[in-house]
Parts: sequence; C-alpha cells; structure tokens
Amino acid sequence: MARPSKESRTLLMLIVGLLAWLVPGAGHFVLKEKKRSIIIFATIALTFSVGIYVGSIGVIDLFGSTPWYVVLAQVMNSPMVVLLGRLTTGPAYPVYSQPNEIGQIYTSTAGLLNLLCIVNAVYLAHLRSAETAGE
Amino acid sequence: MSVEAIFVMATFTAPEEIGVNPQSMLWLLPLAAAIAVVYKATKLPTIKARNFIKEAVILFGSIIVFIIITALALYTLARLITE
Repeated sequence: MARPSKESRTLLMLIVGLLAWLVPGAGHFVLKEKKRSIIIFATIALTFSVGIYVGSIGVIDLFGSTPWYVVLAQVMNSPMVVLLGRLTTGPAYPVYSQPNEIGQIYTSTAGLLNLLCIVNAVYLAHLRSAETAGE
Repeated sequence: MSVEAIFVMATFTAPEEIGVNPQSMLWLLPLAAAIAVVYKATKLPTIKARNFIKEAVILFGSIIVFIIITALALYTLARLITE
C-alpha cells in the first residue's frame, strides 16, 4: 500500500479540524470514533443550548459590547454562531444582568470545549496518518 | 411548522428570570458536568459506558471539591482581612 505523502497528511488534518469546527464531534466521526463524537456533539450542543435558553439568542452579541475573548470563544462552537450573531445584531434581543452572564459563560465554555475537541481530533488524525506512514 | 415548534423556538428569544442570589451559584453544576464529560471523552483511550461514567463522575466530584475548598479559603481570607 502506498504511504500517504506529507501534503495528504496535512490535508487530512486540515479537513478533520475544519469538520470538527463546523459540527462539534464531526472530526472524531470521520476518524471512526463514533461513541466519542456522539458524546462530544450531545454535550457541547446541550451546553450551548442551555446558554441561549437562559440568556436568549441575545447573548450572541458579535458586534456589540461583549468582550472580544467571549465572542472568540462563542465562535469556536461553530461558524454557524456567526450567522446567529448577524441575526441578533441590533436592539431586538436585549439581555442584561445574571441571565446575560450565565448565557455568555455557558456558550463560551461550550466553544472552548469544542476547541479542545478540535485540537484532539487533529492530533488523532496526525497519529493515524503517522501510523499509516510507518513512522 | 407546528405551534409547539414555534413555541419552543420562541423560548430562545427572551431571557429567563434569574435573580442574583446564592442559589444562582448552582448553575455551575451542569457546566462542571459538561466539562468533565467532554474532557474524559477526549482523554480516555477507549470509551466503555461503565468506565466512562466512573471517570467522568470522579472528575466532576474533583472539580466541585476544589471549588468548595477555594471558596472556603477565600471566605476565611475575607473574614481575616475585614475583621
């Protein structure tokens, strides 16, 4: 069997990383880690959903006064959060005080957990391709 | 789209009413559980239900115990400074 080239290994890691960002758990799913991917998807989706349930979709405030590090952590959930952020631009979904804080903490923690899963999926892809290459 | 689906979606457009009180600290429990579950999902070499749940529960307990110890230490420090 032909060994994968360095370019194809890099491409695999890139695809796995992008998929893992697009849908939480998808990176592990393409690596045939189905149980892991289901657990990751269910937990991150639930954590994010609790955040926007408590604080409303108004907690996704990409272009408002929310600190940049919170916005960055929220976007790590999925690029679809950016679409949600465009929807909530403006004063249509006001949220203040405790619900805002809890919502932001939940959504940004879900994003940071997904970042952990993206890094883990890319590392697994690297290990798998290194095994195939016989390194 | 059914009325039920519209109702469920509408609940995501208005914030819940949560007061600033000691009970609101309980919101950290589901978050700690999510952290424990995802962390163990990435770290365990193989996922077997029994072992996975055991490991996640141990990590969840460790996080809560550490938070309680930190809270007690900060409370004691605050008492020492203010009295």
